[in-house]
Amino acid sequence: MNVIELNKLTKYYGKSRGIEDVSFNVQQGEIFGFIGPNGAGKSTTIRTLLSLIYPTSGSAKIFGKDIVEFGPEIKKEIGYLPSEVFYYDNMKVIDLLKYSASFYKKDCTDRIKELAKVMDLDLNKKIDDLSFGNKKKVGIVQGLLHEPKLIILDEPTSGLDPLMQQKFFDLLEEENKKGATILFSSHILSEVQRLCDRVAIIKEGKIVKVEKISTLKEDNYKKFKIEMPSKPDEKYFNIDGVNNLEVKDNTIKFMFKGNLNNIMKKFSTIEISNIWIEEPTLEEIFMHYYSTEEE
Amino acid sequence: MNIFLHELKAYRKSTIVWTISLVVMAMIYFSLFPAFSKDVDQIKGLLEGFPEVIRNGMGISLDSFGSILGYYSFPISFVILIGAIQAMNFGVSILSKEVREKTADFLLTKPVTRAQVLTSKILAVVASLVITNVVYIVVANIVASIVKNDDYSFKIFFMISITLLFVQLIFMSLGFIISVMLPKIKSVLPISLGTVFLFYFISFLSTKSNEAVIKYITPFKYFDPAYIVANSAYEMRYIIISLVFIIVSIIASYVIYSKKDIHSV
Repeated sequence: MNVIELNKLTKYYGKSRGIEDVSFNVQQGEIFGFIGPNGAGKSTTIRTLLSLIYPTSGSAKIFGKDIVEFGPEIKKEIGYLPSEVFYYDNMKVIDLLKYSASFYKKDCTDRIKELAKVMDLDLNKKIDDLSFGNKKKVGIVQGLLHEPKLIILDEPTSGLDPLMQQKFFDLLEEENKKGATILFSSHILSEVQRLCDRVAIIKEGKIVKVEKISTLKEDNYKKFKIEMPSKPDEKYFNIDGVNNLEVKDNTIKFMFKGNLNNIMKKFSTIEISNIWIEEPTLEEIFMHYYSTEEE
Repeated sequence: MNIFLHELKAYRKSTIVWTISLVVMAMIYFSLFPAFSKDVDQIKGLLEGFPEVIRNGMGISLDSFGSILGYYSFPISFVILIGAIQAMNFGVSILSKEVREKTADFLLTKPVTRAQVLTSKILAVVASLVITNVVYIVVANIVASIVKNDDYSFKIFFMISITLLFVQLIFMSLGFIISVMLPKIKSVLPISLGTVFLFYFISFLSTKSNEAVIKYITPFKYFDPAYIVANSAYEMRYIIISLVFIIVSIIASYVIYSKKDIHSV
């Protein structure tokens, strides 16, 4: 079952592009990554899903219901954590969380205490006196206190130290095991790689690929680095499947996708002094993907 | 209900401060009344030296200056001016502060409709204004009955006093419509002070020849205390104008706010 369905969702700010024809589905129980550089349209998509802004054209459904028509109803089961958190400064943490809980028709007192304990958050401080990282923790508790079925995170890790990040990811995984679906937007690939099952890559307002993380990594790209006794001939490796070829002194580097036997045959006929064959990191695939798209 | 209470609480301090200033102002003006009424002829002579425009603007009518209700039109014009600033401040800030303090994301990702948010906020402002009016009228009436030189009708006193609330509701609605139309309001006070004083000064421009026109333009002229004293009634057409303005701008606020994009920070 699809928890989120986007159908050619488009948003223009006046004449300037927000997103164009964004379509993808997020299935129930999935941790879905949403990656792209700054300004690609991640936040625009998320803010549209939350009906903070309204689509110019296209539509989207959450839990099978239209986001514009059923916005308030849908939001009962959504927990949202924005990249930058701002709350009513003169309130105490506990008062803010109680205010937040008052919007959902359930008792969240125990849950607040439990989450605050995990995140090591002092409930009796004033929001005004909190550091950026601590405000972020308030955001996390606030987003999870009503045990939402869908958790939407917009670049959530900024400002959290590695330890807290770890705790936060554990918390998310726990929620996921309990059945929550998670939409996780980020420009940091390692965190997406660590958490997500599938990922949508967005670039300049358009989705360029929706893929399983495992497939993306297995996309049969291999990273080759060869050291040779003399300066290598660039043209020699210019065969199908070779990308991002780089020659520096006596070493040659490239990415390869295709039948490995072809490339191995090439190696067998030349003199090499050293060879490294590696799995590319997601980051490299991603960069590669981006640069090839531009051509 | 939770938003309403939250907003009411958020405006508690501000409401107290504005209410105290209104009450103190009324006290000061009323405490001058015994001195004025004792030498009423002398004062009248003095005031005749003022241009009529100024006298009208400040609500001084020479004929009835000796009675407390006649005198009241003088302080009430200032009370209404200050009250209008309060109302406009509340009206402008109650929605714009969510954008300014970047809390709109928090509130609008909760399971509430925009209309519910606006309704709660409007009711919170109205409640704050009603509280201000109740406290003001009670205290002003007590002070007036202490300084009075003759018995007066509480009904008329109340009818004059409650025009504070009428004018406040007009400026509150104006504040709402301004706050939903402008994309981002950095500072509330310049907008509310500017608007209120603009209308206040327009009321000073009133002369015999253009009085009819000016009276329609500025809410400060809608409820003339002298008319209320003389007729024990309001001029119906201004009540209607006020109601129409309030209803139209509040409906427009709902429509605009429901469709408005809440931009990220």
